[in-house]
Amino acid sequence: MTPLHHKLLRDIRAQRAQFIAVIVTIFLGVTLFAASYDSYQNLAASYESTFTEFRFANVTMSGGDVAGFADVARQEPGVDSVELRTVGDVPLQMGGLKLLGRVVGMPPDAQPSVNQVRIADGSYLAASDTDTALAEEHMADHFKLAPGSTFEVLGPTGWQTMAVGGVASSPEYIWPARNRQELLTSPDNFAVVFVPERLAQVIVGTDGPNEAIVYYIDGVEDEALTDLLLAEAASRGATVSFARDDQPSNAALSEDLKGFEELALFFPMLFLAAAGMATYVMIGRLVHAQRPQIGVLLANGFTRRQVLSHYLGYGVIPGLIGAIPGAVAGVVLARVITGFYTEMLSVPSTLIRFYPATLLAGVAFGLVASILAAIGPALLASRIAPAEAMRGSAPAGRGRPSIVERIVPSLRRLPVPWRMALRGIERNPRRTLFTVLGVVLSLTLVLVSWGMLDTIVNLMDKQFVQIQQEDATVYFAGPVGTDDVLALQEVPGIAAAESVLQTPVVLVGDDRYESILTTFDSGTAMHRFFGDDGRERPLPDDGLLLGGAMKGILGVSAGDSVQLSVSGYATEARVAGFIDEPLGTAAYASRTYVETVVGATLPATSALIRYDEGAVVDEVRAGLVEMDGVAAFEDANALYDTAQKYMIFFYLFVGVMLLFGGAMAFALIFSAMSVNIAERTREVATLLAVGTERHQISRMITAENMMVALFGIPLGLGFGYLAAKQAMASFESDLFAFDLYIRPSTLVVSALAILVVALLSQWPGLRAIGHLDIAKIVKERSL
Amino acid sequence: MAVSLNSVWKTYGEGATAVHALAGVDAEIPSGEFTVILGPSGSGKTTMLNLIGGIDDVTSGDLFVEDLNLTGLTSDERTAYRRSTVGFVFQFFNLIPTLTALENVELVTSLTMGNGAERAAAVLEHVGLAERLDHFPAMLSGGEQQRVAIARALAKSPPVLLCDEPTGELDFETGRLILDLLRRVNREENQTVLLVTHNAAIGDMADRVLRLRSGSIVEDRHNANPIEAGELTW
Ligand SMILES: Nc1ncnc2c1ncn2[C@@H]1O[C@H](COP(=O)(O)OP(=O)(O)O)[C@@H](O)[C@H]1O
Ligand SMILES: [Mg+2]
Repeated sequence: MTPLHHKLLRDIRAQRAQFIAVIVTIFLGVTLFAASYDSYQNLAASYESTFTEFRFANVTMSGGDVAGFADVARQEPGVDSVELRTVGDVPLQMGGLKLLGRVVGMPPDAQPSVNQVRIADGSYLAASDTDTALAEEHMADHFKLAPGSTFEVLGPTGWQTMAVGGVASSPEYIWPARNRQELLTSPDNFAVVFVPERLAQVIVGTDGPNEAIVYYIDGVEDEALTDLLLAEAASRGATVSFARDDQPSNAALSEDLKGFEELALFFPMLFLAAAGMATYVMIGRLVHAQRPQIGVLLANGFTRRQVLSHYLGYGVIPGLIGAIPGAVAGVVLARVITGFYTEMLSVPSTLIRFYPATLLAGVAFGLVASILAAIGPALLASRIAPAEAMRGSAPAGRGRPSIVERIVPSLRRLPVPWRMALRGIERNPRRTLFTVLGVVLSLTLVLVSWGMLDTIVNLMDKQFVQIQQEDATVYFAGPVGTDDVLALQEVPGIAAAESVLQTPVVLVGDDRYESILTTFDSGTAMHRFFGDDGRERPLPDDGLLLGGAMKGILGVSAGDSVQLSVSGYATEARVAGFIDEPLGTAAYASRTYVETVVGATLPATSALIRYDEGAVVDEVRAGLVEMDGVAAFEDANALYDTAQKYMIFFYLFVGVMLLFGGAMAFALIFSAMSVNIAERTREVATLLAVGTERHQISRMITAENMMVALFGIPLGLGFGYLAAKQAMASFESDLFAFDLYIRPSTLVVSALAILVVALLSQWPGLRAIGHLDIAKIVKERSL
Repeated sequence: MAVSLNSVWKTYGEGATAVHALAGVDAEIPSGEFTVILGPSGSGKTTMLNLIGGIDDVTSGDLFVEDLNLTGLTSDERTAYRRSTVGFVFQFFNLIPTLTALENVELVTSLTMGNGAERAAAVLEHVGLAERLDHFPAMLSGGEQQRVAIARALAKSPPVLLCDEPTGELDFETGRLILDLLRRVNREENQTVLLVTHNAAIGDMADRVLRLRSGSIVEDRHNANPIEAGELTW
């Protein structure tokens, strides 16, 4: 170790509080990067390997001439396998619960060549067992089903008991979505069972398969082939057809994954930018304070390059100390996160790998951020003119009344400490600027994460409290008349019941969009509609209300007409307007309007009900489930709870982010404040020497720091809002509409929190003033 | 090494606010001479020393140290010159506060010679600080700090030693000890020593006295019989 190395290390030790703050910010940034990026990679790899291992369909077509479609698909050279199967939503009964489940037909004795399942427990379907099914893992977990358990399924001949032969997870149901409009399901209302194909046809009541699934050679995506097959499917009357990317479960997962990737870059970059800022400020001030020392080094024959690398060291060392453990911690954390995540979602194939590149990139990011931050001040140090540097510190600017004092002359009557504070702010523009930047960055970090949290909470509230007004949904086994629905009002505990008809539809404008048309009673009290201007509007009787995303997809505006096809039957419908709903992109119409267009009276497929005041949910459910024709009962609160449960991971992530952001904010402001105080030791010593009281000085410094912090707050709120908007925009799609929403209280609380942090982080510095040895400072003749 | 200045000008600033810190200075200082530069505050003493030390640029004129013309050296050449040829002693000691006495000296020896620590310790011993090697500047008295600074300047045995008010911060007794030390090394190693001070009494110990006023040399005098530093009074 050369003396310069000693100097470097001792300087760092002397200012350890600030260096620790910087090291912590770098550590956090790098940890976050490595953890989220490796989680992203692990998840992407897990999905990818699941897709090839279980031959996840590249294209799926439901309804229409699936057999004809399959023949065409088999001729395509890029196609590896095509399977025909029967899929249908039918009532299931287990554990005293009726729900609308899904039956999926599978070839007995051998796995299909497309969309295979992983047998987690028990064994695959055998041809000999005609009353055996595989329970999908989410369902098995929720209802505690194991091989040997039973459940009932409603077939054409009534309820039929089935035995569970095994538990299976499937690439199609990693995220248990019913369809693209119903991405969030509760295990109490959606469950998937795999049964022998022959049995599936009996239960669903078809005389042939109703779905074709296509797997390409090696599963490799081929956009041209997909476009061709989707066009073929559309021409053969498909009610639902999608590419692998749009498969409901996969689409939800991709959104999730995309979010992960965004976060894996966006947040760490924000953190590292903040860390870089802190480093820059700290080294800049260090160089300024050490000007005479630099002069001595140069006068004694040190080269400018030696000085440059010496001061780069003040960036590199905290960079390495923060980045190396940060990268390691991140990589370890990623394993935990991935394990937790794939476990929670029951991903059939989990691939947790060690990516050395992430480790290296993490260290490199941390190092690059700190070197970039140090290079400016270090260059400045190397360019110092030695003769001038040793003449003493550069004059600190002329003293004069501050601009505000000149603009508002009455301010000149303020007590002296206030005037000194005002002038201090102006005299040290660099110090002021960096304190302001510290506040801005801190607020940005906090607001981005908190804003995401607020947005999700708001989204949930909007969907489940403002839009959906029903207490529960009752699904019927088959279409029923509206009178049957009204009769439900006689059931004890039910105050109101309205008819609902849900049909898969294809809307065609410039492009086609597969959705679900939900028909409500005119003037429904069960669902509220909000236009894209945010204002509530009634359900019109002269046209459809479409989810906002369709405006762009179909290229239509209010008043235009679109083609509406329902199971092959097409008609023209008028677009009455667009609505803004956070989940999915749906179509709504009033019963009156649809009946006019169709020219017939329509049945109901489900009923939305409102409970009597004080009704006991379990009793209402028990009463309804007893009734013939009732296929399933879904309590709205239960679904809300499930939705919340799915969000847990998100809350956790954002919570951690908020914690990190808070820690970062503390580190940033702490370093800004402590340098603010440390830099003026000499000034303080002089004030003390002339008899100023310590508490007066503390008050003056506090006043100056707080004024600067206050100045940064509106800027930080504005900047944070924009950054949060940017972060949320990356999640937007036709599945989720994430409009940034930040509660006013969030703004107030984060602003106050920053002020409190600023106030608290002054404490060590101010305490040091209390212990300041005036004699020593005055005597101090070394540099 | 001999130092020679040929109508050296040093001007700070431009136009109306220009300050001529040195206004056409001529001087020949032979090798091994102990020269004291006297003058009131602001007369250009420090400027002259800085120019000779190669930490500042001549505005016009020629400045030779032995055969080397300092005017027009590149920054790298200037650094090499400082490293090999000059040692500085400053009024405010200018020690690095985070380095011990030994390390402050080693800072310089490590630049120029292989085994820096041994040499550094030897030089500190020579200036009477054998017991203070591991003390930090804040733990040393002013005189001790200045002796560390002198040791730092002497450690690489520079042919030219430049001292800017080395006693300015010291009491009378300590000041004399320091001056004695400087005179001793000048004799022992035949170094060319230039010592700046505003204290006229110190001139009596020098071989040669240059007096500056407003950037010009107003007196250039040789002492036939310089007295010992220990006999100085002020
Ligand atoms: N960097 C500078 N910029 C402007 N003027 C300077 C600078 N350095 C020195 N001076 C001026 O040059 C003159 C000589 O200064 P200096 O050599 O330090 O005097 P001395 O050491 O004799 O007290 C003074 O008037 C001083 O103000
Ligand atoms: Mg001077």
